[in-house]
Amino acid sequence: MNTIIASTWQEMLRRKMLLITFVLTALFLAVFWFIADTVGADFANGGDLLMQYARRSAILSLGFFFGGFVVAFLAIFSSFSVISGEAEQGVLQSVLTRPIPRWKWYVGRWIGYVSLIGTYALVLFAAILLITNVHAGMTRDYSDIAVSLLLFLGAVPVLVGTSMVGSTVFSGIGNGVFMTMLYGAGWLGGMVEKVRGALPVESEVEATLSRIGALLSLIMPADGLNRRMQYVLTQGAGETIPFLTGGNPPSNAFVWYAGVFAIFAFGLGLWLFRRKDF
Amino acid sequence: MNTVIPAIHTQALSKIYDNGRGCRNITLTVGQGEAFGFLGPNGAGKSTFVKTLVGLVRASGGNGALFGHAIDSLEARKQIGYLPELYRYPEWLSGEEVMKFHAGLLGIKGGEAKRRIRERLDEVGIGKRGSDRVKQYSKGMQQRLGLACALLGDPKLLFLDEPSSAMDPVGRREVRELLLELKKRGTTLFLNSHLMEDVETVCDRMALMLNGDMIRSGLVEDVLQTKVRWRFKVGGFSPLILDWLREESGLSIALADPVHDAEADWDMPVWLEADVSDENQAGLLNMLLIEQGMTLYESSMQKEKLEDWFVETVSGRDQRGERG
Repeated sequence: MNTIIASTWQEMLRRKMLLITFVLTALFLAVFWFIADTVGADFANGGDLLMQYARRSAILSLGFFFGGFVVAFLAIFSSFSVISGEAEQGVLQSVLTRPIPRWKWYVGRWIGYVSLIGTYALVLFAAILLITNVHAGMTRDYSDIAVSLLLFLGAVPVLVGTSMVGSTVFSGIGNGVFMTMLYGAGWLGGMVEKVRGALPVESEVEATLSRIGALLSLIMPADGLNRRMQYVLTQGAGETIPFLTGGNPPSNAFVWYAGVFAIFAFGLGLWLFRRKDF
Repeated sequence: MNTVIPAIHTQALSKIYDNGRGCRNITLTVGQGEAFGFLGPNGAGKSTFVKTLVGLVRASGGNGALFGHAIDSLEARKQIGYLPELYRYPEWLSGEEVMKFHAGLLGIKGGEAKRRIRERLDEVGIGKRGSDRVKQYSKGMQQRLGLACALLGDPKLLFLDEPSSAMDPVGRREVRELLLELKKRGTTLFLNSHLMEDVETVCDRMALMLNGDMIRSGLVEDVLQTKVRWRFKVGGFSPLILDWLREESGLSIALADPVHDAEADWDMPVWLEADVSDENQAGLLNMLLIEQGMTLYESSMQKEKLEDWFVETVSGRDQRGERG
């Protein structure tokens, strides 16, 4: 299995996927530095505590707005053609006739993607927090930071697992479209919830929007984990930026659901892969 | 009694896809050290059968074993090397890295892996170009790399699906020689090829697939010896003499080009063809032709080519082809 994991890392490095991501991330972090500097200008002079929280929350929201997207797209576009694409190219046919069980190949690939993208997500998380801390201060509650990190990283297995399931069923490009739409649906669910929280609407409308938002988030819980992560980091202070933050954070039950979703996606993909004809 | 376990044994092995295509009820035994050729037109089900044997597709019915191990078992896969028909290796890797990856899958490590990789790359003619990225390889080079990968584990049984289809004539000859060498070493070969010359030269036995069914099987030698035909290039020929020749020799003799007969252009040399069973009969015919004052420019034995047999066997039958 180590051979498969190593080859997955090698693939991502050789195809310059990570290099491009790192270069663009460095550019983003440079821009983010100036944004954080601008938004958090009053921080150095002290000032109103609530306002400080709000500014910190705004900076974090902007940072993780980018962070959530980039981690999601890296997870999707690195793995969307892992099975169908390799089968179409004829790469898998010579690999699966080797004396290794199919499950080892699948698990090796999954670990390879999740570990490498997870490492990237960890670095990005730390960078966003560090920049925010410099310009607007950060919570010193390390348990909150640890929980947030886990929630941020949690989106990776959810997306990689789902993408690999799609790759056993759809063609490479078809799965790319499928995954982008699926992630978009989850993201839209979050947006609906934020809109509901930001707009003064009737309680009936609010309930309907809330239901729609929740259902969309359940289809693909990656963005929901991201919203919950931001909530934990800011403890609810982030309601000051409509459409970036706001609305009710996903519940504990949603987090558990996301965990079950990731396990189910992993198991389903493995089951389909073991039965698939190449 | 021969107690040696066959390299391949299938009993009514079938793989039927949803569209009804695939292969049906294939019962086949290939002995250890044998070279077996698998023929058939496009879409006949040859590749499906091979994929079922190597565990890439799940059988719909029947069963099979490689060296006594069930076809979908790891033990069976430990015995084989497989060169798929349509394949590509990751372009971002070098040939050596592809080999190293496959060595890892086979559990071959360290110095042993290095030694085998070097040997196999030399054997298939890649040599020092092993350090080049795969994207710089021609199709023929990629096919050589595929062959090197298939040979990496020193397999007892080698499945080759069109092993030299992308190669130039020199490459094809080299692959043919390599296969003959492997055969000499005792490797069992299962060759799925459209290149009849490969099958003729390398294989001991063969089978013909058509529309998912195995319609013929037997020794290559038997197929090629069903008809031995001699050709004679003769000057001063007259059609009147043909019946006399037939009567005297007792052989079936005909003009190779019947159109010539109709045009009656007898000033030019003609080709005669005769079905003979041994060289003595050919000698007798030579003598009779010269006795009658004809000029014998050339005489040669024309063994029937596998290609002729293939075309003859397949033509006239319904074929589903690659589509529909």
